[in-house]
Amino acid sequence: MSEPSPATAAAQASPAAPTGVIHDIGYRHYEGPRLGRGAALVALTIQSLRGVFGLGRTARAKIMPFLIGGTMMLPAVVSIALMAVVKQRGVAYPSYALIMQAVLAVFLAAQSPYLVAPDLRFRVLPLYLSRPVTTADYIAAKLAAMALAMFLLIAVPLTVLYAGELLVDLDGPPQTKEYFAALATGVIFAVLLASVGVAIASFTPRRGLGVAAVIAVYLLTSAISGVLVGVLMSVSRDSAAAWAWLINPFFLVDAVQVWLFGTSPNNDGGYPEGVGGPVALAAILVVIALSVTALALRYRKAASS
Amino acid sequence: MNSVVAGITYRAVLGRRRVLLLILLPLLLIGLAVLLRAIGSTDENATIKLMQIYAIGMMLPLLGLIAGTGTIAPEIDDGTIIHLLSKPISRPSIAVTKFAVAASLLVLFAAVPTYIAAYIVLGNEAGIATGFGLGALVGGIAYAGVFLFLGVVTRHAVTVGIIYAVVWEGLVGQYVPGAGNLSIQQWAQTFAAQFVTSNFFKSSVGMGFAVPAVLIVTIGSVVWAGQRLRSISLTGEE
Repeated sequence: MSEPSPATAAAQASPAAPTGVIHDIGYRHYEGPRLGRGAALVALTIQSLRGVFGLGRTARAKIMPFLIGGTMMLPAVVSIALMAVVKQRGVAYPSYALIMQAVLAVFLAAQSPYLVAPDLRFRVLPLYLSRPVTTADYIAAKLAAMALAMFLLIAVPLTVLYAGELLVDLDGPPQTKEYFAALATGVIFAVLLASVGVAIASFTPRRGLGVAAVIAVYLLTSAISGVLVGVLMSVSRDSAAAWAWLINPFFLVDAVQVWLFGTSPNNDGGYPEGVGGPVALAAILVVIALSVTALALRYRKAASS
Repeated sequence: MNSVVAGITYRAVLGRRRVLLLILLPLLLIGLAVLLRAIGSTDENATIKLMQIYAIGMMLPLLGLIAGTGTIAPEIDDGTIIHLLSKPISRPSIAVTKFAVAASLLVLFAAVPTYIAAYIVLGNEAGIATGFGLGALVGGIAYAGVFLFLGVVTRHAVTVGIIYAVVWEGLVGQYVPGAGNLSIQQWAQTFAAQFVTSNFFKSSVGMGFAVPAVLIVTIGSVVWAGQRLRSISLTGEE
């Protein structure tokens, strides 16, 4: 029998003492300021916002958002050309998002799964949560990124159009009030669409199915609304038809726009008189609240798996 | 055609959350039909609106997208298609099998509910139920082929598909009359118009154009998808 080495002897002497050692293998230490939870939230938001437009991703990921962003600009460009050449207004500010609703819906459907699906699919959520970021922060960052992206998609063409109107200098005052009304409505559009889109997309880790599910909700609501309006108008139940318009989320927001800013309705036949506007606004708030709740429940489950 | 591949594909499409969307859309169509009956709007105009806007205009392309890409795109996405492709089965026959599965799903979830919904509202008056049932059948098969092909050629099949269905067929089709010639929805309506005798319904594309168009697009898509499968490269996600 050989002599036990000193280390073995020590281990035998006190078996409960910890034996693990963290070796300093020469990595550089971080000595800068620790920015904490708020900075992580901001960083995640900016990172997600850039990702929605494909910035910092492959060239292939940029095609879709820029194609759709370019399409959103078309009516503004055409309107400016109209103003400059024939001195006539083209698209009105409050109608812009309504005319382009299909394009906005496609953007929402195509990009919101990107925000949530890969993290769920590759199960990297615990990595985020091992930092100061909480699930609530994660949801807030993703929602804020999508809402900002949708707002940019609506606000940039409006602003270009407004700048064009100021430069062309048509007769009469510029439509400043309509411009700001459309911007404010753009905020409602952005928050409503982003929360619904991200909430639906978060329920499947597959991007393709997420895209299909989000667009399905838009097409479903607009088709049901279209069928009911068509049928009710043909039997002259115009007041019921006015309510049926509100099933489509875009016309729901337009009803609020009409109520709050006194713009003219963008459907044929208008919205319900009187309580229509407040009811539409309440419906929007309920939908947003339901979507955020669904997200919170979804991520409470996802974070623990 | 290969029955084992077909069985696996059926299980993959029907066993996941995908099936919820496949069931939800036709259920709502039948729900709307019952609602129309309940409020007494059982005239030809209302039925045709329901068929044109909901059944052909929305449900058919959406189900085509879910079933058509769903039979193959998730497998390519996961990389599990490699197990299928490494078996001694000819690749074009895999494509044909997947197409047959997608087409059969569309018959079950799109064409049959379309017929039932029209029948609930109006019986078979003015040939609306038969006509739109046939239109949904033909359109569904064409969509299955096209979206299967998209699923093979691009990772963004669903996005490209909705841009075709929503922006091209929906938005551009409304403003540019010529766009209707290249729209599966319009071809489906042409087939429907062969049976529908109502004055409220007119198709914009002639039968002489729609029949060859459907045949060429469907067969072409499936054949080309099969050729693409012979030399598919599996690249990582972005």
